[in-house]
Amino acid sequence: MCPTGMDHTGSERSDFLKGTLDMLILKVVALGPIHGYAIATRVQQISNDVFQPQQGSLYPTLHKLEKDKLLSSEWKQTETGREAKFYALTAKGKKRLENEVQNWNRLSGAVALILNTAE
Amino acid sequence: MAWGRSSKQAQRERQLDSELSFHLEQRIADNIAAGMSAEEARRQALIEFHGIERVKEECRGLHWENIVDSIFRDFVYALRTLRNDRRFTLLAILALALGIGSATVIFSAFYGVILNTFAFKNADEITAFYIVDQDRPANRRPNLTLPELVYYREHNHVFQDLSGEFGGFGGTPLVYSAGGSTYQFDGCFLSANSFELFGMQPLIGRLPTEDDVKPGAAPVFVIGAKLWREHFNSDSSVVGQSFTLNGVPRMLVGVMPPRFRWAWVDAWLPFSLDPNEIATNPDLKGKAAYVVGRLKPGVTVKEAAADLDVVAHQYARIEPRSYPKRFTVTAKRSSEEAVDGLGFSRLLYPLMAAVILLLLIGCANVANLLLARATVRAREIAVRAALGASRARLLCQFLVESLCLAAVGCAAGCLLAYIGIKVLRPLIPFNAFPQEAVIELNQYVFLFSLGMAVLSTLICGMSPAIHAMRLELRSQLTATGTSNLGATQGKLRSSLVIAEVALSVILLVSAGLMMRTFLRLQNMDLGVNPKNVLYAGLSFPRGVVQKPEEQQHTFELFFDKLKRLPGVNAVSATMSRPPLGGPATDLIIPGKVHGDDWRTLLELCSEGYPAVMQIRLLQGRFLSESDVTGVRHVAVVNEAFARRYFADQNPIGQTVKFGVFDRVPTLKDTYFEIIGVVSNTRNQRLNDPPAPQAYLAHTLLSMGYKAFVARTSVEPESLIPQVQQVAWDTDPHVAMINATSVDGFLQKFFYANSQFEFITLGSFATIGLLLVLIGIFSVMGYTVALQTHEIGIRMALGAERSRIVKMVLRKGMILIAPGLAIGVVGSLASERYLAHLFHEATPVNAGTYGGVVILTIVAGLVACLAPARRAAKVDPLEAIRCE
Repeated sequence: MCPTGMDHTGSERSDFLKGTLDMLILKVVALGPIHGYAIATRVQQISNDVFQPQQGSLYPTLHKLEKDKLLSSEWKQTETGREAKFYALTAKGKKRLENEVQNWNRLSGAVALILNTAE
Repeated sequence: MAWGRSSKQAQRERQLDSELSFHLEQRIADNIAAGMSAEEARRQALIEFHGIERVKEECRGLHWENIVDSIFRDFVYALRTLRNDRRFTLLAILALALGIGSATVIFSAFYGVILNTFAFKNADEITAFYIVDQDRPANRRPNLTLPELVYYREHNHVFQDLSGEFGGFGGTPLVYSAGGSTYQFDGCFLSANSFELFGMQPLIGRLPTEDDVKPGAAPVFVIGAKLWREHFNSDSSVVGQSFTLNGVPRMLVGVMPPRFRWAWVDAWLPFSLDPNEIATNPDLKGKAAYVVGRLKPGVTVKEAAADLDVVAHQYARIEPRSYPKRFTVTAKRSSEEAVDGLGFSRLLYPLMAAVILLLLIGCANVANLLLARATVRAREIAVRAALGASRARLLCQFLVESLCLAAVGCAAGCLLAYIGIKVLRPLIPFNAFPQEAVIELNQYVFLFSLGMAVLSTLICGMSPAIHAMRLELRSQLTATGTSNLGATQGKLRSSLVIAEVALSVILLVSAGLMMRTFLRLQNMDLGVNPKNVLYAGLSFPRGVVQKPEEQQHTFELFFDKLKRLPGVNAVSATMSRPPLGGPATDLIIPGKVHGDDWRTLLELCSEGYPAVMQIRLLQGRFLSESDVTGVRHVAVVNEAFARRYFADQNPIGQTVKFGVFDRVPTLKDTYFEIIGVVSNTRNQRLNDPPAPQAYLAHTLLSMGYKAFVARTSVEPESLIPQVQQVAWDTDPHVAMINATSVDGFLQKFFYANSQFEFITLGSFATIGLLLVLIGIFSVMGYTVALQTHEIGIRMALGAERSRIVKMVLRKGMILIAPGLAIGVVGSLASERYLAHLFHEATPVNAGTYGGVVILTIVAGLVACLAPARRAAKVDPLEAIRCE
């Protein structure tokens, strides 16, 4: 199992940073209450199919985030009238996301800087 | 398992189901929307889902209730599988129980003797020290004169206090008379401050204090729990009573607890360390005391020695004569010192190592058994893994299974240890351990065995678990069950068996040696018949009967009465018990050149001696009654004496002189005429050949003590109360001491050690052999299980069943051979060490080795039988088809 829980699509390995899936989930959930399936498709869409979260890692991660009180959940009806579990960001989750984004930006900025200079 | 699951958990489970199926439905719907057929859409969605159970497991694993629940399920599952495979379970539990049990027994001895020797408060602080001559390190002085002790006590900076003791270890017999009876027990003098220093509370009464030894204070003493129980029937009213001990009235103020046995005596008389008192009290004059001290908190033994070194050099300037030219002070914890010189204690370290090895071997056996099962269960494990069991869950499953085994093994092991200690305790020689030490199962020993159980769980559970995880899971489902196992693992397993065979061979050889020693000692011809002989001494109290003639008279009166006692056939005075002769003396024979080594042992006895001890008269005659009563200067010598000093002459009629009598005024320059020669007896312990010995009339010498032997027609020790009464009837001031049968004496002092070592080693060797059986059985069982397929093919190709059996047996023997060789070579190599370690071990002999080798091979064959029969029963069709 790759550390991020992402399945690599063959050409691009996306498992270079631990905890990325956590951050992506938090980011997607931050846009508004959303159920697991939608999280998976949204991550895939937004990342232009680079990231394809697998159920095998998505649900354990969701449950872990919920247990850590970064996410809250609620059973609601979807547009199709089916009951589904909707996840929302808690205050703690929001804070964590801000931290993660900041860290990420700093890190990726630094990496970009190095890569550009190295050319 | 619905049982034990909360409604909250059930709800969580339902929600998990519904969340995941919602995902699946959405995916199918999307796939259909993307243009797939309904069937294809479902198939794709399911493929993507990679095993819905595994996802569920992982989500469940986040909640502790679920973890507890799954461990609980593991337990139920483990118990069920263990119950289904009874033979395996019993073998595994037996192996663990034997391992844990023997480790527990030895640890309880180790704890009792080495770690908790004394029951003193903070016993680690009690420290002894010696003055060591640097030019001759063997020359070390542990005793200090009392003024020296006072000086050390005042000038050291490391001890809270110092204690002094003298007259212990049998040096101070205390005699007291009460109501027409006289008793004697061992006492010693102990400085009054010692009782507080040791910090033990009395059972009843109080401890002596320094007030009790102030000038003019009434003398007091305390007794030990054993004497109180055996002699005073645990009567608490004795405390406060006054006893006249050796003529001095003393008040008994307290009873010490059972584990207070300082100086190995039953009574302690306090004395003062006040310099004035030491200078004036005649009891204390010129005495030297054995000294120990209680270190101040935080002071190490080395620091103490350094400080005492300074004090000792200061004192050496005051009293230079009592110190060597160059000396130093060494210090040692009393607990270490107490164990140092004692026979069996030093055996504890190698034994501890041996039982830990036994336990490890037991664990290795169980691991092997589990491995064998893991192979058989490889498919089951692969299925479980495919159904979503994570590696952690599988590991957990294995550990739970071995935990179940270890828990039962631990309980059974503690039971074995309990029985073992109960059986072994009465066999422990009295001088094997410090008398203060107690060997029992206590909380520390239980903690140890629990620790051993946890250790076994990990050792047993880990290796099959790791092994199972290394298996290519998918290949287990698709290919045959007998995937190729790593060669290294096979080697590891074989080396375990080799190690256990080797260890058990060494144990067996040691046990065989001890058995031979024991049998040799027990069957040794002593030259006397020790059966049905009672030995006892009469002690005449100081200050009551003074004159030797009176003592002699008392003794004769006693003898007359004793001869008439029913059950007594013959009596004689004596000075010694076999296998010891009497005192040694140098020898002068007129007309012969006197050599340095012209010595003989002396036995002072009466005319009944040959009848009591059943020695044979070879020449002349033995002492007659008139020789004894008339105190005639005649001697009977033994064969060794006659051979040595009168090889070519007739000894009868020759005269000899015994050097020791020159110190006795009435016997100075007395020559004795030899009147007879008797057969030899063992008189220099058991191993040395008989030394020259002369038998003289006991009436020649009078001492405050007379011993006698009596041949009885009943069990000798059953006569002790009557003989005691006869003594009191003769003179109420006579105490009978050391009463024992000669048999019992031999057992206690000469056979007990080798018997105990033989039984201990024999038990461990048996356990080792049992473990070897289980080990070979498990490895061979495993091999056969792995080769079922191959055996099937061989049989299908026409191999006969007997050839299959032979093949298995041959493999078993190949497994045993290297261990056997290593064990034999190891025993030969450690022979000298073993001989040193064990009491009077006889030299190694081929018979012992041959026996051990044959025993091991037979055990190996027995262990191979069941797997071989299983192999022979393999149905070729079944074996091939089932793959």
